[in-house]
Amino acid sequence: MNCTRRNFLIGGSTTLILSGYFPKISFASMLKKNLIIISLRGGMDGLTAVPVIGDKRLKKLRKKLILEDVLNLNSDFGLHPKLEIFHKLWQKNQAAIVHATNIPYTGRSHFDGQNLMETGAHIPYKEKTGWLGRGLLASNIIGKGLAISLPMPLLLRGVPQNNNFFPSPDFVETKLIDQIYNEFKGEHNELIKSTLDTIRQRPLSMQIATDSDDRKKLALEAAKQLKDQSGPRVAVFDLDGFDTHAAQGGVDGAHADELEEVNKIVTILHENLGQAFDNTLILTLTEFGRTIKQNGGYGTEHGYGSAILMAGGLLKKSQVYTDWPGLKKKELFEGRDLNSTIDSRAVYNSAMSVCFNQDPEFLRKEVFWGDELPDLSQDLFKI
Amino acid sequence: MSLNFYRRVAFGLSPHEKPDKDPLNWAINQLDIIPDLLWPGTIPTEKDLRKKYGEWVYGDREVLRKKFKNDKHAYRKAKDELRIKTGERYFELNEHAIRHFQTKYSKQPVFERFWLFWGNHFAISEKDFLAEFSTGPYQREIIRPNMVKTFEEMVQSVTTSWCMIHHLDNSESFGPNSKKGMEWGETINENHARELLELHTVSPNAGYTQEDVIQLAYIMTGWAHKWDRKNLETGDIWFDQEMHQKGDKVVLGVKYKNDAKRELAKVIHDLATHPICIKFVSTKLCRHFITDEPTDEMINPVIDAWNKSNGSLIEIHKAVITQAYKYNEITHKFHPPEIWLMQLSRMFDLNIPLSFEKMNYTFKIKPNNRQRQLSWILREIGHSPYRAKQPNGWSDLEVDWVSPELLLRRFWFASVELPMLVKSGNRSHGFILSCLKNNFEEHENMASLIDNFRFGTSDYDLGQKYGVICNLPGVLKI
Repeated sequence: MNCTRRNFLIGGSTTLILSGYFPKISFASMLKKNLIIISLRGGMDGLTAVPVIGDKRLKKLRKKLILEDVLNLNSDFGLHPKLEIFHKLWQKNQAAIVHATNIPYTGRSHFDGQNLMETGAHIPYKEKTGWLGRGLLASNIIGKGLAISLPMPLLLRGVPQNNNFFPSPDFVETKLIDQIYNEFKGEHNELIKSTLDTIRQRPLSMQIATDSDDRKKLALEAAKQLKDQSGPRVAVFDLDGFDTHAAQGGVDGAHADELEEVNKIVTILHENLGQAFDNTLILTLTEFGRTIKQNGGYGTEHGYGSAILMAGGLLKKSQVYTDWPGLKKKELFEGRDLNSTIDSRAVYNSAMSVCFNQDPEFLRKEVFWGDELPDLSQDLFKI
Repeated sequence: MSLNFYRRVAFGLSPHEKPDKDPLNWAINQLDIIPDLLWPGTIPTEKDLRKKYGEWVYGDREVLRKKFKNDKHAYRKAKDELRIKTGERYFELNEHAIRHFQTKYSKQPVFERFWLFWGNHFAISEKDFLAEFSTGPYQREIIRPNMVKTFEEMVQSVTTSWCMIHHLDNSESFGPNSKKGMEWGETINENHARELLELHTVSPNAGYTQEDVIQLAYIMTGWAHKWDRKNLETGDIWFDQEMHQKGDKVVLGVKYKNDAKRELAKVIHDLATHPICIKFVSTKLCRHFITDEPTDEMINPVIDAWNKSNGSLIEIHKAVITQAYKYNEITHKFHPPEIWLMQLSRMFDLNIPLSFEKMNYTFKIKPNNRQRQLSWILREIGHSPYRAKQPNGWSDLEVDWVSPELLLRRFWFASVELPMLVKSGNRSHGFILSCLKNNFEEHENMASLIDNFRFGTSDYDLGQKYGVICNLPGVLKI
């Protein structure tokens, strides 16, 4: 299919020139800040990702899930060996953890929990927009969201004109779109026409991309876009498979495989954002943590408190930020789960305030209905 | 009347069909009886598939997880074998084939469009293994037979179906003052009650409060699956008095006396005949068939038909079609990817779904690529019908379906995949022209856009042609 590709490339470049796609000149003082959210669906186990060191009770309850060779963070906490990039960035004050945190949801249903982690609300399915979408809208940042998925994630809904990137198994010839573009006439076709405009203005790399099964490619392209001063300011990745009811394992188990995926994405983003990494925040998001105790299948059940993995140059310093609730039976939530002592929405609200240059008070009211969410930006981020 | 009416209320005309002299009558006459399912292959019952569901979850949860607790590789391998044995990766493919075959060949395509509508109104979203085993048969056995009954009867059947109860967790809802609730310290799960109000009947327009949700959840307690060691959560639905909240309940200002299992039918009667419910569902029907923002003028005749017939779905459907006909020339409606695919398949007689002989499954090896093809296409164009992300189902609004990737996926399908689905006898330019003529007023303009490729019959040439004509404004929208 060489012929197709050549035709396409000619068509593609013509389009770019005709539609006036020229990268804007960037000035250091006007550098945009990027916020990247990685959704970890299924319930990420904060105690596997960021284990507490030397806790006898944890060792006893998780005999078969104990991690060898944890990477040291500080005297209290270690890092799962698959999360190498976080360890590397930790040395440069570019990685941090918020621990014993979660959205205020204790129901243990993936279904409801994932809805709430995206809407930021209290009642499942009540809200139809995501906290990130509402944050963008409140900050008047329109058309700057990039979802790395086919459907527009709930998290980003609520603000118009988001872009998404999740290429089809084969690419589409640009000339095909050009050929019918002018057929879209009249007011009732405006939405499709403006979306075709977005497609036609895409950089070549995005146009010729194929195969969304390759996470590496997706992350690489996202980094390229985020690096561009006139490109997106927000990106959302979606990972699943954290629901490890069995064979969760330690260093090399099923949960480790998923953490490795997170590590891969962050590594690629770090390598390819270059300077822009300094103006970036990467945060993970999950619906709940997992039980302290291993189950009969050497896995864990749905729990409550988890952790947020953070990376990027906008972090204040490397730290495990936590109000540690302890792991004694009476300290656990309902006697079985790590408790959550920090409403994770406070972290996300503060992150938005930093990246969108907004007053956290204002965002808290606009996005989270004025819920009690302390401003953590001074503690966690560079402001 | 424009030819696009056949796409507005159905799937367009196949090469063997001709426009009717009286399109309105043509459409209205399709709604009185339930057409048989035409798929010549296996059509398993809901109960059989639920049994398979049970074998799968029991085998994984109770056997494999324990047996391979130390070895993730052995666990994965054993799990894959169990998938094959229980058909965990197969039944959804078969359901897609049944559904697509029906929309493609049904003599009552208008009825089939309503079938899709109701299946999505009472959506089962992606949860546990419902899409794999249960959502398809739920559409066939719960939604379909009720389409010639009343709306109220439909709500009753849906609400007490295993699929919806599992989907919305009603089996985990205990009356706090019930025998089991007290013994186990359990309380209600409001999910099902909330969605019954919000999505299935009165909508938030009714102004219900959190207390109404709680009270309705109390009424619904006890409607649960029978649990036993072997079937786990896949047992039949029954009413468990020991889970049921005792005492009177009040929903939307109406008092329901303590009356055990009979409370539910009473409250559903009141919800399903509530004026706000009637307006909400009538609006949704008009939105599906007429335009994203239907006016009162469009909706009111549907409400009238509803009231006159006491909620007879046959009469309601006829009123919707009459309105769709009336406003056909002055409104536009965008079609979501699955309906678009079904229309292309019917209009151009595409080679999907796979023949029933080839869809046959032995439970010994995993489904092959050809068996997976239709489901793969649906997923790639962003509309795998039984995997809506939330209980409110797939959106009916253009704005939710027009994103860069979702549009590109349609271009991709039409220009790259579709040519491989063109039957060998249909590759000539003349065939395309005749299909266009059969379905589009503006067929001459459409033909002129692909005239450059009139001599080409290779996959590449067909891709150039179909890529254009399938994505024109008058095809994506009517």
